[in-house]
Amino acid sequence: MILSVETWQITLFSLSVGLASTLLILPFGIALAWLFARKEWPLKSVLETIVLLPLVMPPVSTGLILLKIFGRRSPVGQWLYERGVEIVFNWKGVLIAMAVMSFPLLVRSVRTSFSEVNPRFEQIATTLGASSLRIFFVITIPLAYKGIIAGALLAFSRALGEFGATILLAGNIPGKTQTLSLAIYSFVQLGKDSEAYTLLGITVALAFLFVWCSEWLLRSAKKA
Amino acid sequence: MLLRCRIPLAHFELDIDVSFDARLASIFGPSGSGKTTLLDAIAGLRDITAGEIEIDGSTLFSSARGINRPPRERGIGYVPQEGALFPHLSVRKNILFGAGRSADISRSKKISVEHVLGVLEIGSLLDRPVTKLSGGEAQRVALARAILSQPRLLLLDEPLASLDIGLKEKILPYLARVRDEFKIPMIYVTHNLTEVLTLADWVLMIRQGRLVTQGVPKEALRSMHAIMQIPEEQFENVFTVTFVESDPEAGRTKVRLQAGRELFIPYLPRPRNNTIQIRISADDILVAIKPPEGISAGNILPGTVRRIDMIDGQAMVTVAAGDEFYARLTVSAVKRLGLVEKTPVFLIMKTRSFRSL
Repeated sequence: MILSVETWQITLFSLSVGLASTLLILPFGIALAWLFARKEWPLKSVLETIVLLPLVMPPVSTGLILLKIFGRRSPVGQWLYERGVEIVFNWKGVLIAMAVMSFPLLVRSVRTSFSEVNPRFEQIATTLGASSLRIFFVITIPLAYKGIIAGALLAFSRALGEFGATILLAGNIPGKTQTLSLAIYSFVQLGKDSEAYTLLGITVALAFLFVWCSEWLLRSAKKA
Repeated sequence: MLLRCRIPLAHFELDIDVSFDARLASIFGPSGSGKTTLLDAIAGLRDITAGEIEIDGSTLFSSARGINRPPRERGIGYVPQEGALFPHLSVRKNILFGAGRSADISRSKKISVEHVLGVLEIGSLLDRPVTKLSGGEAQRVALARAILSQPRLLLLDEPLASLDIGLKEKILPYLARVRDEFKIPMIYVTHNLTEVLTLADWVLMIRQGRLVTQGVPKEALRSMHAIMQIPEEQFENVFTVTFVESDPEAGRTKVRLQAGRELFIPYLPRPRNNTIQIRISADDILVAIKPPEGISAGNILPGTVRRIDMIDGQAMVTVAAGDEFYARLTVSAVKRLGLVEKTPVFLIMKTRSFRSL
């Protein structure tokens, strides 16, 4: 199948911003997931709920909140603008929307994989004189890595499918902020069905690939 | 070593206050009596409500003085029941995991990797993934890992519990070698009496989180409280013996007890003067008040009843026959024979009732 330049551009844009968003949230997601899995503190459940909110809230609502936070009239947006960073209506808006929307999925799945690591290994490692940092990188992460990769894949797929929050924060500007999902919506609106179906095919193929890989990893992690 | 701690558990409180000095102290008690909790507390893996833990003159924990040293600074080698080898690392990486710590713990003699590999005979396993080890190999690797962290104390939590009987007999001698070779004090948790009698020079019996009795194993285990706790099948006599002569044709080996008496045990090809431990269940010893005749048993030892402890229809009869033997009889048998202290008796033991370690 020969894809048009435009289709390529949209696909590559989605994939690269999606990848960037996943890489951006990965360290924070892993750290937070570890805290959730291993530590207790007062009001922990409140933070857990807040992190999960974007998963259940209407994406458009999340988008509106983000727009209020990063818009130029808000203190945060103002502060960033003064330093030459603008989030709204460009690719950075897409990035932020994808990151926020996929973060809960990442945290949830990484948290599960940390919980499945027997804490006895970590305890024994401390008796052998290992520091918390060494235990984290030499014991916990390697034992949970399949779940972490699976979580990252899931987050990446969610990022690619992002629509509601993106359209509010970044708009739907062809060649600038138009992702696969936004483009499908536009093409359908404009009656360009064949373009829409091509993109549809791409999204189905990508989603299938990612979910399949992620499930396969989780299954093999359980077996190990 | 001083252990004084109170730890709340689900159904009772662990409350132990002991002080002892032993090469290998065994904590003996039924499952669920708080043994593992106690080890966790010593290693610093579990919070203690109040108490004090002192090893080698240094305080690891003291609620009164506000001391609670983190596990990584305690210098304690812990071999948990399941071994807990890091499944993603090779045997080599596992056993060297704690070896880096040795620098900051002052020990007159550092234990070398070669020495440990030699004593535990695991040199050929180094490049294997730990998931490809047998139960016995995994236990030895876990032991090596703990020893190489140059600990001032080794904690072993039922190291033989998950192994089948044949394997137990193979691993037990390794534990004895570790005890004798490395001079690291050990605390050994078990609910198996044979292991206590074979390895330990001190025993703490605990039940429901409380100390029942403590002392040198043979003596401590003689008390009423102790007898009550010992599982039916487990009351055993353990002796250290030297080889005298072996006769494969006759199917038996003659050994000498420490006090000089000789016994026949099933044939074992060992050189003369070799020392081993043998054992016989207290239920496998017959007591007679007349010298028996026309009987197949290979061992008939004259002796004198030293004491009789009766409980729940059972009688534990201690007989001095050179060494001390324990025979478990019914109360009715004791009455029928008229056994009292100082009654002269004959102990009858089948050659094949003896097991060696």
